[in-house]
Formats: sequence, C-alpha cells, structure tokens
Amino acid sequence: MVETAEETVVRKSVRVQVPIERAFSVFVEQMETWWPASHHIAAQPFQTIVVEPRAGGRWYELDAQGSECDWGRVLDWEAPNKVTLSWHLGTDWKFNPDIGMSSEVEIRFTAEGPSTTFVELTHSGIERHGEGYEQLRAMLDSPGAWEGILAEFAKAVESQATN
Amino acid sequence: MDTYLQSGLEALGDATRMAIFQKLAGGPMAVHELAGTLPVSRPAVSQHLRVLKDAGLVTDSKDGTRRIYQLNPEGIALLRAHFEQVWEKAMSPFQASAEQPKTGENRGRDRRRNRRS
Repeated sequence: MVETAEETVVRKSVRVQVPIERAFSVFVEQMETWWPASHHIAAQPFQTIVVEPRAGGRWYELDAQGSECDWGRVLDWEAPNKVTLSWHLGTDWKFNPDIGMSSEVEIRFTAEGPSTTFVELTHSGIERHGEGYEQLRAMLDSPGAWEGILAEFAKAVESQATN
Repeated sequence: MDTYLQSGLEALGDATRMAIFQKLAGGPMAVHELAGTLPVSRPAVSQHLRVLKDAGLVTDSKDGTRRIYQLNPEGIALLRAHFEQVWEKAMSPFQASAEQPKTGENRGRDRRRNRRS
C-alpha cells in the first residue's frame, strides 16, 4: 500500500508443509488454534477469533459467554492468496476505533508446491500506535517484564527455521 | 466501504502526522522546512510535532534560533520490538497448527462449528 519507512515495518515469514488453501484457512478461519492465549484484549479469554471473509468485514474475539471484542477490520480479502487486516490494538492491548491510529497487517500466501506454502506477514504503520510509547518504556523499566526483550528476540529469530 | 472506515479516513490530522513522520524518516528537519513541503500551516505542523514528541517518536534539538526535529530511534525501536514480539510469538504456533493432521481438529474449531450450525 503506502510507502512506509522501513524501520516502522515488521516482517515475518514461515514456510508450512501444507497446501495454500489449508495455510490460508488455518490463518484466518482457525486463528484461535494458534494465536497466543496471552494476547487477548477482552476480560475473559477468547474461545474463538473471527475474521469475516470479506473486505470490510470485522476481526474480533469471542469469549465463552459469546461476548465480542473488536480487534480490527478486514481491509482486503483475496482467498487463498492474501488477506489484509487493520490492527487497532495499541501497546496497551486496547481497541482504538480510529483507523488513523491503526496499523496494517498484510499476509501473503504463495504456493511453492502442492503441499508447501510460504507465508509472509508484513505489519506496517506501527508508528501510528506511537502514543503507547511511554507505556512501553514503563514496561521495559519494570523489573523482569521487558528486560532483554531485544536480545531474546534476536536469539529467537536466529534459532528459528523461519526467514 | 463501511462507515467505520470512512469516518476513520476523515481523520486528516493523523494523516498529516503520518506525513510529517515519513518526512522525518528521511532525516532531521526544521519546522519551516516541514511546513514548506506540506499543505498545512506552520502552527499546525508544530502542533503535530508536539504530539509526536509527547509520544516519544521524535526528539528536538536547538540549532541557533531554529529547532530541529528528528525521529527518536529509541521510541521506534520499542514499538518495533513490541510488534516483533507479538508476531514472533504467533508464527510458530500457526505453523504447528497448519501442519497438524486434519483429523481430530482442535476444540476451538469444533466449538465454532457448533456455534454456527
């Protein structure tokens, strides 16, 4: 989409040994099976994460009682090749409905073979969540919370088969 | 486009802030230089810069009578680390979930089927 300064983009990729349709389906239709349980914004843990299969659709979590909590919107839907989501969760994990304060997550799926799919995730515009910077710093300063996160991250990236 | 998106896109103030941020990504600039390249007034640019500064995304320094603004690498790095961590934590489980055999799919999936049926 728009050109963005590279330092405000996060890229991740992973190669999965499944057909493209399955990779796409697990990503958007079974998100609750892999999304880290600690990363939820509702009071209760999520039971389901729904990505409505159309541009303009909603992206939200659903708890066991059926309460919904918005995460973002579907900006683009090109199954099974690409889906683009708007990310409205600040660093405080609260939903901000202002799209001007949202970032963008694009996920591309490329079939490298009948059962090999390359998944590339690009999260851009993260500086739009800049208001959360002070909080991030506070988290970093609090003992044990974010200490050494950059070092840990670097370690994880290096030891991982992705990218 | 739904009304949600429309109302959000009307938030021109944030678009301007983005534009300022992008320009500063190219290197340090003074307020009047920024204002000269944007369709907004100098006071408006100053106001946006203040928001960016409060958010820790830009820093300023004095150069004679001019005030020079530049991106705050620490602020950007923290934001980046936050999102790197979010996706780092998510991608491996995604891989595992995609590659697990289709039979006996996990409970979350079954629950959703029940909800929808």
